[in-house]
Amino acid sequence: MDSLVRLSFYCFAASSFSLIAAAVMYIVFAVGRVRVLKQTMATSTGHSVDSNSVHHEAGPIGFARWGTMLTVFGALFSTLAVVLRWGAAGHFPLTNMYEFSLVFVSFLSILHLVFERMYKVRQLGAITTSVAAAMTLYIWSLDPAMREVNPLIPALQSNLILTFHVGAAVLSYATFTVAFGAATLFLIATRWSTPWLPSPEMLDDIAFRAITIGFPLFTINLILGSVWAHEAWGVYWQWDPKETSALFTWLVYGVYLHTRSLRGWRGTRSAYVLLFGFAATIFTYYGNYFFGGLHAYGGV
Amino acid sequence: MADVTARSQPKHSRPMLEVLVDRIWRFFCSVRAAIAEIAFLTLLVLIGTLRGSSVPRAIADLIPPLEGFVDRWYAWDVFRSSLFAGILTLLTVAIIVCTINRIPGIWATITHPKITTTPGFLAGAETSATFTSASSVDDLMATTSALLRTQRYRVLTEKVGDRTHFYADKNRLSKLGTFPFHLGLILLLVGGIVTSVYGFRETEFIIPEGSRRNVGHGTGLSVELNRFQDSWTEVGIPMEYRSEITVYEDGQAVKSGDVTVNHPMSYRNATFYQSSFGNAAQMTITDGDGNIVYRDAAELGIFTMRGNPDAPAGLIRLPSEGLQLTLVAPDSNPTNRPELDAMALESGQLWMGVQPIDGSATGNDIGQGGVVLTQGKPAKIGDLSVTFDRETRFTVLQVGYNPGIPIFIIASVALLSGLAFTFYFPHRRVRGIISPGVDGAVLTMAPLAKRDWSGKRDFFKFLEKADDVIGVKPDVKHPANAGDYEYLRRQNA
Repeated sequence: MDSLVRLSFYCFAASSFSLIAAAVMYIVFAVGRVRVLKQTMATSTGHSVDSNSVHHEAGPIGFARWGTMLTVFGALFSTLAVVLRWGAAGHFPLTNMYEFSLVFVSFLSILHLVFERMYKVRQLGAITTSVAAAMTLYIWSLDPAMREVNPLIPALQSNLILTFHVGAAVLSYATFTVAFGAATLFLIATRWSTPWLPSPEMLDDIAFRAITIGFPLFTINLILGSVWAHEAWGVYWQWDPKETSALFTWLVYGVYLHTRSLRGWRGTRSAYVLLFGFAATIFTYYGNYFFGGLHAYGGV
Repeated sequence: MADVTARSQPKHSRPMLEVLVDRIWRFFCSVRAAIAEIAFLTLLVLIGTLRGSSVPRAIADLIPPLEGFVDRWYAWDVFRSSLFAGILTLLTVAIIVCTINRIPGIWATITHPKITTTPGFLAGAETSATFTSASSVDDLMATTSALLRTQRYRVLTEKVGDRTHFYADKNRLSKLGTFPFHLGLILLLVGGIVTSVYGFRETEFIIPEGSRRNVGHGTGLSVELNRFQDSWTEVGIPMEYRSEITVYEDGQAVKSGDVTVNHPMSYRNATFYQSSFGNAAQMTITDGDGNIVYRDAAELGIFTMRGNPDAPAGLIRLPSEGLQLTLVAPDSNPTNRPELDAMALESGQLWMGVQPIDGSATGNDIGQGGVVLTQGKPAKIGDLSVTFDRETRFTVLQVGYNPGIPIFIIASVALLSGLAFTFYFPHRRVRGIISPGVDGAVLTMAPLAKRDWSGKRDFFKFLEKADDVIGVKPDVKHPANAGDYEYLRRQNA
């Protein structure tokens, strides 16, 4: 069992390096490059005049291809890390922040690849794989004791409902990250002249599509959490801070879905709501650090 | 003169009440107002969430003058405040009014959409396609309709002069998805109210082994503990407690099963959770005529002996006799402060004292007077004969009675099905006109997909098929982001 845990950690390390490198590649591609064109013109007086013109254009496509390939590695290794840990623990690894974040990295990198393939937008990786890479750095910073597989405390020795409750939460966080990436690119594309970025309309669509996956998943997360709370504690809802922070995040995305139906709100204002929604997601994700209450386990 | 006077009067004045009702109605129907209400609710939830965290304290540490404000923040129970209840009520009313207001429009879109359009609309559309075909107007319409139908579109046509107008849409029923979703939200609130009004939670529902206890609260339920089992690790840590119980409704056994930690048992709206357990004494008490006045197990350990916290104690109330019996079991931890174990009871013994049922202790106070019972041997106290039959155990269950469960289930299904309908079956619409041309007919069509990337993509996918079926390439009016679409990139190439 120990060897599986160690192998899982090595896979995580490989995914971390892959995703950090992928993020760098995607950023270089998304930022684009500046090309200075020098022109020499002859004048009627027989002199020549040099003129320089500056052109902004897309970054070398090679960087984007490397970014995709490295993200594929990152997705493969992080997924393998999850599977090996699953095998070692005997249950899906979602019991502490190390495991939770590992699964998040796996889901996010896979989800990014799906969206990249669906929309053929590689620039999205500049944001999404950066978040995934940052999350791997966070995992490195966690107490090494969390890398071990420990017996579950009774509150977590439950059933499939708990696994799907937390799994739906992680997957919805990953989709919210994709929406955040698209919203960020949207705001950049509408504020500055960046013709090499995808059109704002497409970015708006990517963000919306991500939310149409994430919002129902987050709703499932809340419902299954309530069902499990009823199984474990006899009440559906206790106004626990983690519960209410999840409700807060859900409401923010509820506001987003309503703003899209308003003329003048679809686009820039909706994108700002998505940035706020992502801040709410981070708040909920790391809530265990500053909340007490019923969710105050997970090793932080 | 009379004419002038008549003209100066207002044409029509609506009653004030009608104007007021109209304004209130419009306020509740407004999406902007709904967004403001949800945003305010979101803010309250954030304030309430932070109250359960160390964040306000950190703010006060950073900015000391805010100390008083932060104290008030911690003191305010947001989720039980009238402001929170008020905004939830406002939102509920808004959802109901807005839903009622939208039903006719959505129903008309589904059942009787406007079929005709104008050339001006098609000319002004962001994206459109024009096919010039050698076919007649009717043939081209038939071909287009057939193609649209293969794409799951409903096609409605209307002849206006020599032109044929058409309206095609698919997934029109997804427009109804908003109703189950918002109904689900309201049902969640209703479920919460029903539970808080009619539900209850019993945290210490004690049943000795072999006994039956009433749940009460007008449920008509009672529970019998058939058997209690526990298992322990070698170092004395409990591994599992298991209560084998039978639930009775109005005296009839309706369900039997095991209850363990994390595996409660439910019957209708009642759920039984394993909480803890303890030892009990099976007792038989008869009066002077030999009538049994008590035969049941008495829980030991719910109380402890006054003066010795290691000695479990229990009570038996005999209302018919006007008496209350106090039982004390042997010291459970004799090595801890042995000087307190004044009774020095041995295993198989119980101390028993008698008091009036009003609880006022007299000469028979605990530890003073009373008798020591030995298992299996009757003892006389006044007219009563008391026998300590055997040691047994009791279980402590928690009982949750939640009549909102069916409402909660319906609400969850409504929420998720509403979201699935709305998000995964988007309503797609296309309008078009087929007019007679110089050598046949001209078809101009446009999607209703303003600032809708997916809507335009679906339209271009349709054009790709239409090219082959109609047999001519259309003249496509490009959107600004033409490069996003594979179809346009190929066409331009």
